This record gives sequence, structure tokens and C-alpha cells, in this order.
Amino acid sequence: MIADDHVAAKPGFPVKRVRFSRGVPLAWRNLVDNPSRLARSIMGIAFAVLMMLVELGFQRAFLESTLQLIRGFDADIVLINRTKLFFGRKEPFPRRYLYQAAAVRGVASAAPLYGEWTKALWQNPQTHKPRPIQVMAFDPDKPVFLFPEVEAKREALRRPDTVMVDERWRPSLGTAGPGTQTELARRKVDVVGTFSLGPDFIEDGTVITSDRTFFAMFSTHELKADELPDVEFGIVKVRPGYDVSDIQSAMRQALGRDVAVLTKQQMIDRETLFQETESPVGPVFGLGTAIGFAVGLLIAYQILFNDLSEQLPQYATLKAMGYARGFLVRSVLAQSALYAVAGYAPAWLIGIALFRVLADRSMLPMVMTFKITAVSALLTLGMCLLSGLLALRRLLSADPAEVF
Amino acid sequence: MVATNGTGTTRAVRIDHLDHFFGEGENRNQVLFDINMEIAAGQLVVVTGPSGSGKTTLLTLVGALRSVQSGEVRVLERSLSGLGQRDLVAARRQIGFIFQSHNLFRSLTALENVKMALPLGGCPPAEMDHRAAEILERVGLANRMDHKPRHLSGGQCQRVAVARALVNRPKLILADEPTAALDKESSRIVVNLLKALTTDEGCSVIMVTHDNRILDLANRIVNMVDGVIQSDVILAEAFRICEFLRPLELFKHLTPTELTHIAEEMAMLHYQPGHDIIREGEAGDRFYLISDGEVDVSRSAARTVVARLGPGACFGERALITDEPRNANVTAVGDVEVYTLGKDEFRAALTASATFREQLQRIYFSRQ
Repeated sequence: MIADDHVAAKPGFPVKRVRFSRGVPLAWRNLVDNPSRLARSIMGIAFAVLMMLVELGFQRAFLESTLQLIRGFDADIVLINRTKLFFGRKEPFPRRYLYQAAAVRGVASAAPLYGEWTKALWQNPQTHKPRPIQVMAFDPDKPVFLFPEVEAKREALRRPDTVMVDERWRPSLGTAGPGTQTELARRKVDVVGTFSLGPDFIEDGTVITSDRTFFAMFSTHELKADELPDVEFGIVKVRPGYDVSDIQSAMRQALGRDVAVLTKQQMIDRETLFQETESPVGPVFGLGTAIGFAVGLLIAYQILFNDLSEQLPQYATLKAMGYARGFLVRSVLAQSALYAVAGYAPAWLIGIALFRVLADRSMLPMVMTFKITAVSALLTLGMCLLSGLLALRRLLSADPAEVF
Repeated sequence: MVATNGTGTTRAVRIDHLDHFFGEGENRNQVLFDINMEIAAGQLVVVTGPSGSGKTTLLTLVGALRSVQSGEVRVLERSLSGLGQRDLVAARRQIGFIFQSHNLFRSLTALENVKMALPLGGCPPAEMDHRAAEILERVGLANRMDHKPRHLSGGQCQRVAVARALVNRPKLILADEPTAALDKESSRIVVNLLKALTTDEGCSVIMVTHDNRILDLANRIVNMVDGVIQSDVILAEAFRICEFLRPLELFKHLTPTELTHIAEEMAMLHYQPGHDIIREGEAGDRFYLISDGEVDVSRSAARTVVARLGPGACFGERALITDEPRNANVTAVGDVEVYTLGKDEFRAALTASATFREQLQRIYFSRQ
């Protein structure tokens, strides 16, 4: 109500809004007044930012690593058993669904992809110790992967007991390349080539082999001549000119409720949702980020509280001079935002270096993405502004009458 | 003399029946009792009194730093009573504050600290540097403008604080012990500057201080004890009254201190032409000293004028001393200003001084 000039005129004193931008950059001056102290403050805030960056980086790396293989599918549509919980949980579906899918109009191909996680043991070629490993298998006549190395070695995989290995797997699996001989699931295998994928949080490495070698290793019974076992993933390609979502709906009609018909992106989203919400590991990193935020909040609050407490009489004097609360709020929030920028910039640069080291050590895709940058920057800003608001309470309650 | 100012001059501050309380409920504690005061433009008023006497509370009320609870405070012709927080904030912008400690931002240079005040006075940004530099020159810090407080002495810092309070040319300056932490040289600069503002620019200054070096520059000294104004002396007036009183036979043997005490108790009254100041036969209750104008002294109903008295003359004392009724009429000839003293104060002054009493005995009773 004071904003109206004629209303303000009644009590008699003109109320003018004093803008922060005019005159002296108080927030900036307060920030840089004591360089060694500023350096300590920046280190404190940067530490918290780095914590958040690493947590966010691991969160993304964790998720991305589990999605790498799905991203490598040469598929428009993926079929899985509706009850399959997540990528690495074996839950095959009957083969006939694949035939039904192939019969849908507009489908170019519907190829099987097999997987084994629990029963697969790889013998380290150097130490001969058995290690669990992820095994994927496909029909060399029906390509399912986008990896060019696998495509190039399809012919070699037709020979029984040949495998391709991930050149970026964890060192515990040993070094293997073309010509290496070792055992997989207690069968002698020849390594005929390598591809580049990388481990995830659960699997140390991945082996790709042919369907026949796979059946020989993992079938629970002797297969009959015309028997084809259940399928883990159905890899469906759509003919050019056909709409994927149209075909998806038609396929759902044809296949019924037992099989989930997903586009490749939906498959990725389904896996993401599971890892972020239902898997215990995803939320851990969210919690880690929250702890980083809380630590940063405490550090920033301590810094700002000290800054303000030391100059409480000065701020009270500003109040006595006729500065309104709004000015103090803007000034302190500006200082908080400056702390956020000052702490974030070095943390981000250190973060890039740290991500490289962590990516090397963990072999996980630790990448400083735009999303991580944006999210961490917003969290840092929020952290500093929130601590600024908390510290402000003391300032606003300072009574200018007490300065006398 | 008791301040009852005329109406012609502008009043910087007017306080009517101001009470103030701290605390609530049972802990409610009255700290100011029925304060009445008017401060004319251009006055340098010193407020003294023991700590806890309410002088700082009074200053914060005049400075719009506290809300007025009871009574009225008018600052620069505008009432502070009943104002909300935002209006109080706006009211403060009309006033310059000087505190005991300088309260400068350590991160800002002298110039920037002064500039902090300028947006509040509506100074255009382009003129800020110039205005701030100008006032710093006035306080003798022309070559210290770009120094931060840690590179300035305590006195220099306080002068920056004074410059900050003055840069918006306020018409009222409130200062609380501004020289308490200062050396002699800085005190002199600060006080002379404040004094110059009152005489040159009609600024009013209210200053709480115990510093004797300042008292002789004050126009007026208000003494507070336990939340009450115990004495309120306009020094120039008191001096004038003393000059009037000194040659009178009645007060010839009083010490200057005793004279000043009497002067402090005197109030000024105004009479229109033809007004009867004293009527014959009435009981006497006041002593009068003519400041300006003339009066006729006449006797009986016939009003035979027996004497005409001018500035410096006194009348009305006899009835107070002898307790007899008035023995003459006294009538204003033109506009008349008189200083008066009540009977009780007159008698109190009388008994306070042994020599005075002897004088009175000799003058009034030896003749009988």
C-alpha cells in the first residue's frame, strides 16, 4: 500500500525503492575483502560441490553402464517377458512369440538374443581363477548388435566354442584377444575377436557368442534336432516406410499380455526407471548427492553467518540510515550467489579431472555431461541461497535501535 | 531557561507528552516520562544524564528507530506516531545518524562507505563520486578517500562516518557519543563541523555526550535523570538572563552558578499591548524580568502611572518575599516579553543561597 504515492504522502515520507545496482557493489566488496578467507570459503564450498559432482557422475555412470548393451541393440522394437525385472535378471519367453512378431505386417526381422548371468563363469586366462561374467548369444545369421567389430567377426563365431570378448572389461577377468584359449562355463573356448563395451556396477565384463555355443554351455537338457529354446530378448527391425508405433500396437494385439512390446527407447526408460527407483544402488547416489548438498549448506551457512555476524553493526547502521529489508535481502543473496559461482567454477574444473581418473580406475562412463553440470550448478546455487536466507534471519532481526 | 519557543521559527523536532516503556506485562518498565521538547532549526542540543536515564531511548524515538508508543514525536514537521515499519524506514532517510562506533564496512573504501548513503537521498548515480568526495574533503580526508577502514585511524574512521551521515544534507542529525572514542584533534574537527552545519545550514543536531569539550558549543543542554527531563537550558538565553540579573540589587551578591540556576528555571512569557501583567491586590505568585518592551506601573483604580520600566528591569518580587498582596498594577505598553520565575522556584533560590537570604533581609526587612 505504501507503493502508491498518494497513500505514502499521507504519513508524509516519500518511500523510494533503492535499487541494489546503483552505487556500491557491497556484496562483491564483502566477498573479496579478505582473499585468504575467500580462498578458505571457496575451498569449503568447492568441496561440497565436488561431492555432489562425483555422486551425480557415479549415478549417471551407474545407469549408463547398465544401458550400454541395450544401446548396442540393432532394434526398433524389443520384446521381453513381461515379468522380467531388469536387464540382467534371466526371464526368457517362448520362441513362438518371436514367430508371431515376425508375422506382423511391416516387420523386417525378429531375431532372438540370449543371455546368461548367474551360471556363467569365465576362467581368467592368466590366473586361471573362475570369475562370473555376462554372456550374450545370437544367431550369426541374424545380426542383432550395432557393434561393428561383432558384425565383422560374425563368420568366425559360426565355429563351435568361439567367443568375442570385451576389450574394456575389468582386469580381474584377465587379458584376452584373438588366439586366447581359456574356459567358459567349463568348456574350452577360443577367443576370435574383441569389441568395446565396458563393465557396469554388477558385471565385470561381457562375452558374445553364437546361439549354438550358448546352448551347448547352458542348456539344462539335450536339445532335439528341431527344438529351439526360449528367448531372452526379441530384436525386431521394422521395414523402411512403416511407423514403429503402429507396428508396436499391432504386435501387442497379436502377442497378448505375456510379452512386453517396447520400442528401444521404452526399453531404455524401463531399465532407467528400475535402476533409479527399485534398485538399491540408484537411490544411494541420490542420497549421496543430498548429503553433499547438506554438507555444502552447512559450510555455506557457516561462511555467510560469520560474514554477517562480524558486520552486524554495519548492517544495522544501513537499516538506521533508511535501507529497507529488501535491500539487505538482495545484498546477502547476491553475496550467496557470488559464493556459489566462486565455489562452483573450481569444483567443476577439478571435477573434470577427477572424472577422468575415476573413469580410468572404475572403467565406468564418468562423463561431465551438460545435465550433470546444470543440475550440480542449480544445486550449488540453491544451497548457497538457502544458507544465505538462513543467515539472513539474524541480520533481519538486528535492531537498528541497538546500534546506539 | 525553560524552553517555550515562539512560533515564528521552524521546528526540527517537537515532542509532546512522550512516554515509553520497555518489556511487556509484569516486566513492563517505563523509561521515559512525559517528555516535552521543541528543538528549533539550527540548534545544537546536548543531552546529558547518567546511563540508563533514557537519553539514548529518546534519541532512537526521534530517529524513527523505535515506534512511538504514547505521545507524539514530530520530526521536520511530520509526525512519527503510528507509523508502520516502512514509513519509519522512510523517515530515517531524512535524518543523519552518527554512532559511537563508526560502523564502516571494512570491505569498502572511505569514498564507498559514504556513497552507501547516497542512493537513500535520491542522488543521481553520476553525481555520487563527486558528492561523496566533496563531503570527505570537508571532514579533512581529501587524501584518504580510497583507504579502507583498516588503513585509517579511529578518528579518521569516525570522520568518514560523520561524512556518511551528512552527505545527504539532512536537516536533523542525531549523534550518540560521537567523540567518546576520539582523540582531541578528531573531536574538535567533528564537533566544529557539526557546529558549522547548525550555524551555516540551519541543521539541528541532537547529541548525547558527556564530553565537556562540546558543552561550550551547545546552544542548549538537556539533562535527563530517570526518564525525566530535569533541566533544559538554552545557553545563550541563560547567559542573557544572567546579564540582566547581575546588575540588579537583589542578585548582586549571587555567584555565577547561583545566577545560572535561577536563569535555568526562568520561563519566557509573551504579553499583548495593554495586558495587565499584575493587578493590585492580587496574591503574588511570580517574579518578572523584562526581556523586551516596556511596562507601566500604576497604583489604585485611578491607574496613576508611577513608573515605566524597560528591558533589564524586574518587578513582582516584593509580594513573593513579604507574602503581601500586589501593591501596584503592571501593564504591557507594547508587545512585551518577560522572563518569569514561579514563587516556589524563587523561594527555593532564595533559601539556597545564604548570602542571597541576607541580601533579602537587608533590602526588604531592615526597612520595616
